[in-house]
Amino acid sequence: MDRLDVATPERVALDLPLAGIGTRALAYLVDAAALFAAWVVAYFVLSLLVSDVLGFFQAFSGLAQALLVAGLFLAQWVYWTACEVAFGGKTLGKRALKIRVARADGSAPGVLESAVRNLCRAVDFLPALYFLGLMTALVSGRSQRLGDLLAGTVLVRDAAVVLPRYEALAPAPQAAPGPPLSPRQVELVLSFLERAQGFDPEARRRLGRLMVDRFGAHLPEAERAPLYASPAAAEDFLRRRAS
Amino acid sequence: MPEPIAAFVSRRRADWEALSGLLAKLDAGALQLEDVEALDRLYRRAAADLARAQRDYQGTSVQRSLNQLCARAYARIYRTPRDRGAALRRFYRQELPALVRAERRYVLASAALLLGGVAVGALAVGVAPPGAEGLVPQVVRQSVDSGRMWTDVLSLSPPEAAASRIATNNLAVVAATFAGGLLFGLGTVAALVFNGVLLGAVGAYCARHGMLGRLLEFIAAHGPVELSVIVLAGAAGLMVADALLDPGDLPRRARLQERGRRGAALVLGCAPFLALIGLVEGYVSPAAFLPGPLKLAAGAALGAALWGYLLLGGAGRAREARATSGSSSRSRAAREASTRS
Repeated sequence: MDRLDVATPERVALDLPLAGIGTRALAYLVDAAALFAAWVVAYFVLSLLVSDVLGFFQAFSGLAQALLVAGLFLAQWVYWTACEVAFGGKTLGKRALKIRVARADGSAPGVLESAVRNLCRAVDFLPALYFLGLMTALVSGRSQRLGDLLAGTVLVRDAAVVLPRYEALAPAPQAAPGPPLSPRQVELVLSFLERAQGFDPEARRRLGRLMVDRFGAHLPEAERAPLYASPAAAEDFLRRRAS
Repeated sequence: MPEPIAAFVSRRRADWEALSGLLAKLDAGALQLEDVEALDRLYRRAAADLARAQRDYQGTSVQRSLNQLCARAYARIYRTPRDRGAALRRFYRQELPALVRAERRYVLASAALLLGGVAVGALAVGVAPPGAEGLVPQVVRQSVDSGRMWTDVLSLSPPEAAASRIATNNLAVVAATFAGGLLFGLGTVAALVFNGVLLGAVGAYCARHGMLGRLLEFIAAHGPVELSVIVLAGAAGLMVADALLDPGDLPRRARLQERGRRGAALVLGCAPFLALIGLVEGYVSPAAFLPGPLKLAAGAALGAALWGYLLLGGAGRAREARATSGSSSRSRAAREASTRS
């Protein structure tokens, strides 16, 4: 997966996961559906209020009618830009897919960036259904369509923060003795413990034995025997071992 | 030997959750004054934790979640300043005219393409009438042949309907002219030349049928400004195309972004003029009660006003800025730094 490197003034590098074309296409579909639904609802509300919709518009005063048509035309474009500027780079669809528009430094886009990338939808859409944009996103290093290249923006994924897995570890006093584990080994043990409950019993026993072999090699044979016998005992040992 | 990962997490976790909570509060728009201080402190500490996690716990979920947390905080803390009104005033007072003057090569090239198209269209109809008349739309040919202006239809339909139709049509032409630059300039050049050829051909056709005066009378009021905006959009498209074809010292992508920003500023800056001229085209141009010379004068005045603004506007301020450019760039850096911290 592509990532975006960002150097912050705090002198620590962030790397943000970039959204691929699949996610982007889905987000677009959500937005397009929302816009379409909004028009349909607006039409029906209007048709409830007035019986003759076409006549209603024809009866409008001159300037109001002109503004209305221009407004309808612009709404399609303004929707994207206004959402992205007001909500930190997220339209409805992007919010649903947990992605957002960002500048190359990871910050939210300004009015100009957002306006440019949305103005270029007209070209990215060519010849039909965003074919050009899709091709550009495939070959450009950071999944950017033409509008993104022009505005210097990328789409990054806002993944959820996952921390609860560390609660599974035992408090320090109960820790099992042995050579300390590296952080990656701790991650391995945690991944195993998280999933052990859902395993097939035979697989659970076999994997538990492998893990005990690996992380309990320093134990004498007599202490290892009960761990081999019961998956629960093996997992408890691993939990204390990783703490 | 690094601290065990579980101990690190349990020791620092409260702060991370507090930061996450403050960010949610910020998104909800409920951040208090005292929270801001806490946000700053917590973000810096989380960044330090991330630096540490990158050294000691690379590839673990602690490192990944800290990265996510800091990215969320960073995107919200370093957002763009919100003095949009001032930025907008500065843009129209100084930056837009300065931009047009700085990029005059592209403006001239764009104008040359459009006018070249006009010449070709007019010549073609003038030299080889039967063959070239295909360039003139059939609606226009029919009405001219029967001695009427096709624009009379416009004055029959209510002006506001014409104005809105014209405004959307103009917007579409301008957007296509600019964005066509991304197709290595082919779209831009095609839009400029085709529009020019059409205009020239229609003009020559009207002249052959003795109706040039009436055509001029119709387009005089809005024509100068409308064609100017199309020329400026073409200039912006050519800037983009030039960056794609000849990026110079920079990588293509960097050059495209730099030039694209300026081009987009040019097009978006001219959009209000286009909207206004759409009103003129809908209301003034087809109005039969206004005498032709008055429309001609109005069109000339509007065109002169636009180009006077673009060529002379903000010049005094620009000179001032150049005289103090050393100090001003330093002060801008300082201002940016202060808004960031």
